[in-house]
Amino acid sequence: MSAELRIESREATPAAEHILVLRDLHKHFPIKEGALQRVVGQVRAVDGVSFELRRGQTLGLVGESGCGKTTLGRCVAGLIEPTSGGVYFGLDEAERLRLDELRATPDDATTAAQLEALDETHRVDRMQGDAWQHYRRNCQMVFQESFASLNPRHLVKDIVGRPLRVHREASGAELLGRVVDLLEQVGLGRQHLYRYPHQFSGGQRQRISIARALALDPELIVLDEPTSALDVSVQAQILNLLHELQQERDLAYLFITHDLSVVRHMADHIVVMYLGKVAETAPTQTLFDRPEHPYTQALLASSPDVVAGEVDPDMPLATLEGAVPDPAHPPQGCRFHTRCPVATDRCGWEIDDVVRFLEDSETLFDSLANVERHTAFDASLDFDDAASAAGLAAAMHGDSIPHAMAAALASVTVDDTRVRIQFDEVDEVTLTVRGPNHAAACVLRDQGGARPDM
Amino acid sequence: MTATESEETMAPPVSDVVIASVRDLRVHFRSKAGVVHAVDGVSFDIHDGETLGLVGETGCGKSVTARSFLKLVPMPPGIAAGGSIVFRPGEACPSCSGEGCVECESTGRRSIDLLELSERDMRDIRGDRIAMIFQDPGKALNPALSVREQLAEVFYQHRTDQLLDDASIDEGDSGVATTLLRRHAGLRSRRLEETLLALPPLRNRRNELRRAVDARVADALAETQIPNPRKVMDRYPHELSGGMRQRVMIAQALACDPDLLIADEPTTALDVTVQARILELIRELQQRHRTSVLYISHDLSLVRRVCDRVAVMYAGRIVEVAGAEQIFTEPAHPYTRGLLDAIPSAAHERGRLVAIAGTVPELIEPPALCRFSGRCPHAAPVCETMDPMVQPLDDEHDVACFIHHPVTGAENPTFAGPPR
Repeated sequence: MSAELRIESREATPAAEHILVLRDLHKHFPIKEGALQRVVGQVRAVDGVSFELRRGQTLGLVGESGCGKTTLGRCVAGLIEPTSGGVYFGLDEAERLRLDELRATPDDATTAAQLEALDETHRVDRMQGDAWQHYRRNCQMVFQESFASLNPRHLVKDIVGRPLRVHREASGAELLGRVVDLLEQVGLGRQHLYRYPHQFSGGQRQRISIARALALDPELIVLDEPTSALDVSVQAQILNLLHELQQERDLAYLFITHDLSVVRHMADHIVVMYLGKVAETAPTQTLFDRPEHPYTQALLASSPDVVAGEVDPDMPLATLEGAVPDPAHPPQGCRFHTRCPVATDRCGWEIDDVVRFLEDSETLFDSLANVERHTAFDASLDFDDAASAAGLAAAMHGDSIPHAMAAALASVTVDDTRVRIQFDEVDEVTLTVRGPNHAAACVLRDQGGARPDM
Repeated sequence: MTATESEETMAPPVSDVVIASVRDLRVHFRSKAGVVHAVDGVSFDIHDGETLGLVGETGCGKSVTARSFLKLVPMPPGIAAGGSIVFRPGEACPSCSGEGCVECESTGRRSIDLLELSERDMRDIRGDRIAMIFQDPGKALNPALSVREQLAEVFYQHRTDQLLDDASIDEGDSGVATTLLRRHAGLRSRRLEETLLALPPLRNRRNELRRAVDARVADALAETQIPNPRKVMDRYPHELSGGMRQRVMIAQALACDPDLLIADEPTTALDVTVQARILELIRELQQRHRTSVLYISHDLSLVRRVCDRVAVMYAGRIVEVAGAEQIFTEPAHPYTRGLLDAIPSAAHERGRLVAIAGTVPELIEPPALCRFSGRCPHAAPVCETMDPMVQPLDDEHDVACFIHHPVTGAENPTFAGPPR
């Protein structure tokens, strides 16, 4: 996140303090291969995400499956350790500003020590002892699969009472009383105490999960697709319940979902993720009224729920070409450029795009012998015969590749069976400010510049 | 085929010919607690060339209804408790050759009761005249077969003669080689015969047959806009993305150009961006092939986009049938209204979603009363004592509710307050 953005958000009227601050969070999973389980690569599930969540507010995290939103939720809940960067919990305003200052200044001994001190008390994966206990009490999680997240061999009273018992809050008759209170808050009752999870419907099981999350009176709840396994009528009940609880207890929600109509209803602020990175972040209304990133626009256009009743149902849904690229080799520049309908030559076209083009072609890929990469933007491709090499060179100037890709080409040189392709090098596209609290990672409309025709 | 030709020249309007009519379908399941009435008296028609949506919540019996078409409900524990599904493919009635008689209810089409069909006859219909797209392509495709083998099966099963034609094996031909090939093309070869066919003298002719199949498989894949079908053919399902797998399944379903396509939540397992593409694809192919579609979904907003008419199911019963637009603009049944209100939208204030109170009733030996009465905000005493029937509201709109069809001499429910 750029420096300007943080200034922007600082100027906005601080409704409440930030309960959760993420700074440049990375989570990479190693790919292991062979008998020795050698690490051959990294899946970049979460790759540099920063945002803040205020007390009593709901932050919606949206994206397709595989974009890293669940991994991010698990990092926030402290279930897995991030590779680098940090999740900070309970920073006050002064500490938050100092954190950003320290992270911005170059490394030296004093700042490192100060950062270390801040990390030890507030960074989730570094917390120890009391701080960790405090965090575990105040951050709870509700999972998508209520079948998998409730132990089928435990009674409801044990499931909901477990957090109270673990944290030595209550025991005996008092514990039972508190469990009944919790169940009543989520719309269940004393009669459900001595039942097993399988005796409940999906909506009721999700209520039990919520009761368990509420047991220790937390400040933050991570909701990982809490309603996607439910029918709409039951979903409405759960969403209403979540809203009531938020009002009563001043809860902050990190609401992870792929359902835009749900997030529009529930969230104050939305973060749109694509391939481990933030594509766009904005207040809910702004995001739906003026989406800036082409990916956000495509998501909104392809979701019939959101437009139902507002737009002619016969209008074709806007659709995206292609599949999400492999997060182990994320595209250069803007990660969305491979599917973007409005991509430009500055979006990070690279050798992988040429390889993808070859894979889709009927004949050329079979005669491709070797790809020798000099950089991500510069490689020599060897073919079995000169005709294929010439074919590729011709295709690079033809209409079969996107215009933006052709425009990004620096040079194509053919030497018998060898083709050397060079693209203009492009830096990674970062978030830029588009309005109050609104940022998008797209080279178009950058810094309020001229709006291209879409 | 003369029948199909005359079909095309006549080009009947969408609503005239009924391609399948379900009448009082009852499918029950035996369970420890008693007999579950999963589908309990469902009746509806699918017209030729239309897309009928079947909407309802989990457990309302919509999938069981769809599976009954192809006899895919396991029995036991399932019990066929009655009713009929009459299917009329685009063939002339055998008893009157298209003139119209009592047997075919003067439609001039062959009528088949799918529930009465033997397993062997069902095999001929499955995948040929009626095809199905399942919810999760990851589970519905065989992980041990490549896409080529997966699709080739359909052609071997249903298009044996055309394959032999393609491979220039005439009907009149005789001899050991031809017999072997014919058996191979009909998926009837034994191990030994396969071995014989793999030997040099026969191998060339067998490969010719295989090439014929490959060509058809590639065509079927290309139709679903799969780039580079020849390459995809050699992949296994796990190597493909969710959207791609669903395309393979659609290609498989449409391979024989069926008269009726049953799509059981085809996009539920997919991301929104992919879902949009698959929906467009199904719609486009349906229009090109003039296939009738039974589209099952729990998502009302999707159904509005895809379907011509919508049937709403609740607890094993149809409660409302209407045109797709009508269902959304003038929902007549309280349950349909509840479903529509529960969809979160910009118009709802947060925390003010109108949820349907309570839960779906148990379907074990249900008493004769309106099944929605326990959750209905407008329920009156009559709803607890009598069972509403699906009755027409106007030409295109049927509903089962006492609000619209009051019982004389009883206290009937009304929509209290201003209408939506």
